[in-house]
Amino acid sequence: MKKKSDLRRNKKISWIKKLFRFMKLTSLFILLSVMSVFAGNTYSQTKTVDLNMEKTTIKEVLSRIEDQSNFIFMFSNDVVDVNKKVSIKVHGQKIESVLNKLFDGMGINYTRNGRIIVLSGAQGKYSTSALQKHPVSGKVTDSSGAPLPGVTVVIKGTTTGTITDNKGNYSLTSIPYNATLLFSFVGMKIQEIVYNNQPAINVTMTIDAIGIEEVVAIGYGTMKKSDLTGSVASVKGKELSDFSTSSVSQALQGRSAGVNVQQNSGAPGASVQIHIRGTNSIQGSNNPLWIIDGFPGSEGMLNASDIESVEILKDASATAIYGSRGANGVILVTTKRGKAGKTKVDYQGSYSVQTVRKKLDLMNANEYAQLYNIFWENTTGSEYFTQDEIEGLGEGTDWQDQIFRSAPIHNHSLTVSGGNEKTKFSVGTSYFDQSGIIKKNDYRRIVLRSNLNHEISKKFNVSFNTILSRTDDNPTDDSSVLLAALSAAPTVGPYDDNMDYVDLNDVYAFSPDCLNNPEAYFNEVSKKHVNNRVSASLAFTYKPINGLSIKISGNVSNSDYRSDDYTGVDYPKSSGGASIGTSRALQLNSNNIITYNKTVDEIHKISVTGGFTYEESTSKSLSASGSEFLSDATKTYNIGSAGTIGIPSSSYSNWILMSYLGRINYSYKNKYLATVSFRADGSSRYSEGDKWGFFPSGAIGWRISEENFMKDIDFISDAKIRIGYGETGSTAISPYYTLDMLSSGKALFENGLYTYFAPGTRLPGDLKWETTAQSDFGLDVGFFNNSFRLTADYYIKNTRDLLNTVQLPTSLGYRTTIKNIGEISNKGFEFQLDANILNQELKWDISANISFNKNKVIKLYEGQDIVGSIYNVIVANDNINRLQEGKSISAFYGYQWTGFDEEGHYTYKDNNSDGDISEEDKTWIGDPNPDFIYGISSNMSWKNFELNLFIQGSQGNDIYSLSMINQNYRWNYGFNMLKEVLYDHWSPENKNAKYPSIDKTFSTEMGDNFVKDGSYIRLKNIELAYNIPVNKLGIDWFSEGQIYFSGQNLLTITSYPWWDPEVNSKGGSNSINQGIDYYSYPTAKGFTIGVKLSF
Amino acid sequence: MKNIVIIITTIMLLAACNDILEETPMSIASENFYNTGTEVETAVNAIYPPLQGGEFVSYFTHLTPLDDYAYGRGSIAVLNDYQGYGTSNIANMGRVWAALYLSIRNANLVIKYTPNGTKTTEREKAQYIAEAKFLRAFDYFYLVRLWAGVPIRTEETIDEIDLPRNSVDEVYNLILDDLKYAEDNLPDNPRLLGTPSKWTAKTVLADVYLYLEEWGNARDKANEVIQSGKYSLVEVYEPNDFEKIYGADVLTTPEEIFYFKYNDERGWPLMNFFHKYGDGYKPYGGNYYSFYSTTDNFFYKNWDDDDFRKQHNFYSWDIGYGDNTLLFKKYIDPNGAGNASNDWPIYRYAELLLIYAEAANNANNGPTNEAIECLNKVHRRAYGYYPEASSPVDFKIGDFNKDSFFELVFKEKGYETILECKRWNDMVRTGKAAEIIMEAEGIKINESMYLFPIPIAETNYNKAIDPVADQNPGY
Repeated sequence: MKKKSDLRRNKKISWIKKLFRFMKLTSLFILLSVMSVFAGNTYSQTKTVDLNMEKTTIKEVLSRIEDQSNFIFMFSNDVVDVNKKVSIKVHGQKIESVLNKLFDGMGINYTRNGRIIVLSGAQGKYSTSALQKHPVSGKVTDSSGAPLPGVTVVIKGTTTGTITDNKGNYSLTSIPYNATLLFSFVGMKIQEIVYNNQPAINVTMTIDAIGIEEVVAIGYGTMKKSDLTGSVASVKGKELSDFSTSSVSQALQGRSAGVNVQQNSGAPGASVQIHIRGTNSIQGSNNPLWIIDGFPGSEGMLNASDIESVEILKDASATAIYGSRGANGVILVTTKRGKAGKTKVDYQGSYSVQTVRKKLDLMNANEYAQLYNIFWENTTGSEYFTQDEIEGLGEGTDWQDQIFRSAPIHNHSLTVSGGNEKTKFSVGTSYFDQSGIIKKNDYRRIVLRSNLNHEISKKFNVSFNTILSRTDDNPTDDSSVLLAALSAAPTVGPYDDNMDYVDLNDVYAFSPDCLNNPEAYFNEVSKKHVNNRVSASLAFTYKPINGLSIKISGNVSNSDYRSDDYTGVDYPKSSGGASIGTSRALQLNSNNIITYNKTVDEIHKISVTGGFTYEESTSKSLSASGSEFLSDATKTYNIGSAGTIGIPSSSYSNWILMSYLGRINYSYKNKYLATVSFRADGSSRYSEGDKWGFFPSGAIGWRISEENFMKDIDFISDAKIRIGYGETGSTAISPYYTLDMLSSGKALFENGLYTYFAPGTRLPGDLKWETTAQSDFGLDVGFFNNSFRLTADYYIKNTRDLLNTVQLPTSLGYRTTIKNIGEISNKGFEFQLDANILNQELKWDISANISFNKNKVIKLYEGQDIVGSIYNVIVANDNINRLQEGKSISAFYGYQWTGFDEEGHYTYKDNNSDGDISEEDKTWIGDPNPDFIYGISSNMSWKNFELNLFIQGSQGNDIYSLSMINQNYRWNYGFNMLKEVLYDHWSPENKNAKYPSIDKTFSTEMGDNFVKDGSYIRLKNIELAYNIPVNKLGIDWFSEGQIYFSGQNLLTITSYPWWDPEVNSKGGSNSINQGIDYYSYPTAKGFTIGVKLSF
Repeated sequence: MKNIVIIITTIMLLAACNDILEETPMSIASENFYNTGTEVETAVNAIYPPLQGGEFVSYFTHLTPLDDYAYGRGSIAVLNDYQGYGTSNIANMGRVWAALYLSIRNANLVIKYTPNGTKTTEREKAQYIAEAKFLRAFDYFYLVRLWAGVPIRTEETIDEIDLPRNSVDEVYNLILDDLKYAEDNLPDNPRLLGTPSKWTAKTVLADVYLYLEEWGNARDKANEVIQSGKYSLVEVYEPNDFEKIYGADVLTTPEEIFYFKYNDERGWPLMNFFHKYGDGYKPYGGNYYSFYSTTDNFFYKNWDDDDFRKQHNFYSWDIGYGDNTLLFKKYIDPNGAGNASNDWPIYRYAELLLIYAEAANNANNGPTNEAIECLNKVHRRAYGYYPEASSPVDFKIGDFNKDSFFELVFKEKGYETILECKRWNDMVRTGKAAEIIMEAEGIKINESMYLFPIPIAETNYNKAIDPVADQNPGY
């Protein structure tokens, strides 16, 4: 048995080796070609055609020429008998001589205009009928008024036509009265205009936003949207840069069905959690794979303005080609590309001002003193403040005003793009600078990007992409600053009479012990985190024969991160502390992909993709720290001068993934579509023998609208049914998880530290892939000439061999181990509706999406629950989230609040009736998973004005407000708290209160009274824009201009009582601690003014 | 020939492929370890950190408010009611259990693998195994007192997930076996300060015999330590001289038998819970669990004001509970930067003298001259007299019988080892807890508090322990 599998492996390896050898050869070949090929003449002069066809129709010959070249033939069957059989044999001849030979003696004339060749009958140059003829001319522009060159203008029902020139002008010498002119251009809606003797017909073309002929990126290739069998959502770059967001992920929020984007905090540059179609993994990341221009990358490298389009691959038939990296969906980012033609310069700039969306209603100084008199009275029997003192206190300090500010965002981007038929380029830069609404906190990102594409010859193409980015931010210790701002006594300000920092822990005898004066923090603590990243890729494409393309590409990405954190000597309780962390991650990728496209008899379209990829990632880190400094002069830049030097640490980690992939797309008469793909992945992270995983997928599509019986149903313009199944995997474990390693640390003896080596507390074991199987049933329907388009999907996702942490009895010494046991399922519906409601002078487009996902833990190791982290907020100390078989992931598990006892303390439900409140009384008290999430965007335009709205929301998710427990029950520690604590606490006179008696006893548990409804609907953006009528102004060099004014988060409807419902303080890519609010940076609202200019 | 070439190529490629996907972490694999003396030594060092670190500190924070001189704040305030442990207390003590067993695992690894070492001498092997066995016994001694009979994990059952609870006697037998091995094989002087010598093993043996009420054995082991001449009491002539014993700058003293050592770099994590910012006694963290006492406390009120220890151990500081509040001054580090570098005294010579006094009195059915002299040494020093010579505060043998002398030793041990986590254990061991708490606080103690419940992390995942039937009484 064993022998057999070894043999199989041999085969595989020799395959790799061959491929390597092949790659080397091709690379050499390409290099030679680059040197030998020199720039050619214009296309038509150099383009040659080979034909060897016996007794075939002229139509087929023309089609063969089209396949071999970029020429396009236009003709009418009435005039040209294209079904006539001919035989032709030419080799390496230019187009003119081929056509002369072909049409010899047939009475067919032709005219060539660039690449368009128009055929006509023998009578004249154009095959128009002998009716009365009139000349007509005009200009074609786009919606901004810019001239559109290359638009095809044809008389309907004939082959007579022309194309517009560089200035968008066209002229036709003679057209019949009442004829209809068709204007068409790729990506634009076709316009039909009846000729009524107008002297000029000027046409404005509009973008066909919902065109089904759109080409979308898929894994390792592109595809016509109409041919898709999988679930792929597309978001245009323009939508992403509608308003300033600190990350591309944030810009994706609400844009696409099934994509749940949750910010973990409102801080600029804070991490964002994206779950596509629910949560699949407990151990591993649930964030999707980001592919930037073909290679795995980090979205943090990009500004939204750098992006041409984003495709989100959701179902397994689309993601299986990414195998072990595809389980959480794939986000394909295509950066901006140059187009042939005039060089275009785009500038976008905006300035925003943000403020905190909501302040909490805290006690003022007077009320604070009243509350603590009650506490004092209840604990010691006497009051602390005299009535005179209380009256003298007045309003005092609102500490929220001490930390929040109105903060600007600057966002600028400049893109220059253009090129000619052979070389296209796009270079750009962007600068994003956001100040946080908490003082001293900011985030900046600079991106330099270039995209070059050169056609060396008809057969060779080279492209080079680079992205350089630098992000730097000065984070705040959000939770400690926010805690202090809410908890500090309002009776004092940041400074005392001597202008020293007030010690918030020493204002009164009952003052807390854990508060840092925020002003001191702002002035004396500095944190600077910088990440310099570079990603460069080079690709050669070789097209030896028509339809075959071999693409060999490589990418290097490096990230260089450093953090410098320093606490000054003047910071209370500090003698100066510095810590430095650096990490460097290098990623090498190689993609080697062969694609072959073939159309047989116009009926069978086949596209085959195969390839080999290699990924290697190495990261190294080093950190050092020190404390006790003489002064702040050196900060983190002379750690050796510290009085006490911390133990430095360093680490190393490396993983490799090698893969073979293949895919076949087949379509029959554009009606029946099928896709089959597979990928084999070998990962270094898994145990010997389980390193390789295989990820197949298959999908079929049926374009019903192409069937004859559907032709009569006018209102349905397009309809497609998709069914797919596939498997994807997840590298849910870190490198070295299966190995028995000793970790080191320090033990204390004498007066120093001594090294020790021991195993960790996780017992290593054999592990293999976590596999997600997904079925998708989709429907795409277009109504009324695609004015309304609906996409609906139903999916079932099952993750098996789920890697999960298995608890061991603590007496074993090892506390956990990881096993491939467990199963999670996600099921859901997604709907996306794009509607073009009005298309007159007033244009109105609406796009809406809604997604419902239901997840469930199916199986865990021996039915063991997996519990979330324990949160110790002093007045309660417990875990909240829990995974249990049959329940949804991360649901809240805790006590049920029942009211008060006779002393005014909280009581909880004794579910097991043992007279005691203990662990066994806990039950399910909430669910952080939303019932559905949605987004609606509306774009209206009238004349030069545009009004855009973007609404986004979440329904049915619970939030566990840990902040509220910590904040409103800490009278034992002198915290300030919400006003309602003073006015609505238990007393013998007010037994129906919200808060318990203000005394020494803690009676709070992690109960359901802190589970709050987190549903919200939010007007994320409202924008009013004015398009400058540049053509009317007659400025030649200025092609497009827009000024806009917009507001972000101006309106939020929610019942959530704390700062903001968009919160997930303990979230993260693999966090099971979902839906918790613990002093998260509040969300801001803001106003933006901006311009978009093109030259 | 061609076939051979193909086969060879394939083999080479196979090797190459395996190489690519094989992990080469930059760390040490356990299978090649425990070979040289240095390697074993670093493995032995690994037995200590679970006890020196933060998890085990909960042992201190929970036993201290159970003592009759201290009150706790926050989640340990409930301990002062003596009506049972709160969920948070139980969870924290679960971490103490886990820390002890982690230490035991690391000891078991040393005991199991050291004999296979190829580059260690038999003598080295014996010494390292002795140190590991000493610590394993030490860990089980804590476990058996806090949870009674616990699952015994030795080097032989290191991989077995499900193990039942053993009896208290079985646990003590293991402790005695390990300590006897340690006593025979540990060096005369500790490998490093903070590690045991053979005299440490004898001291712990003496203490274990107290719990087993083998008075003669306890007395004899304690006596061996006394007779060794290795230890003596630090002299104290004014209250502040106690800083020479407990101060942050003290490296060691002749009184140190077994301490957990800390320094500026790695402070005693517990100490963040003691002081309040403003009092000048660093460090001060979020002293969430801070301990306090009051001038009205029974233990404090009955303590002779002339006793230097009373003067040294308390300071008055209002934390919002009124001006009769006292905080503890036993461990302070006023000049420290961030961490408290005070050591945690686990066994001091002063305690050993009192162990001897108690054991000898019980073995003899009444005080002996040696017993009274041991007590007097400790007592004299507390009043500023030279410990080795008679003083005006000396107790006289004729004034006491067995019971009254026991009471006297018990009281003296309470004063001498205040904040050293000794008193609650002694109260439970001698059966005096209920009486003392009733007298001091007027509270009838809930007897389930004598033991902690077997942690839920054990009963949930160890199938050999039934979560109900095998649980300690009262839970």
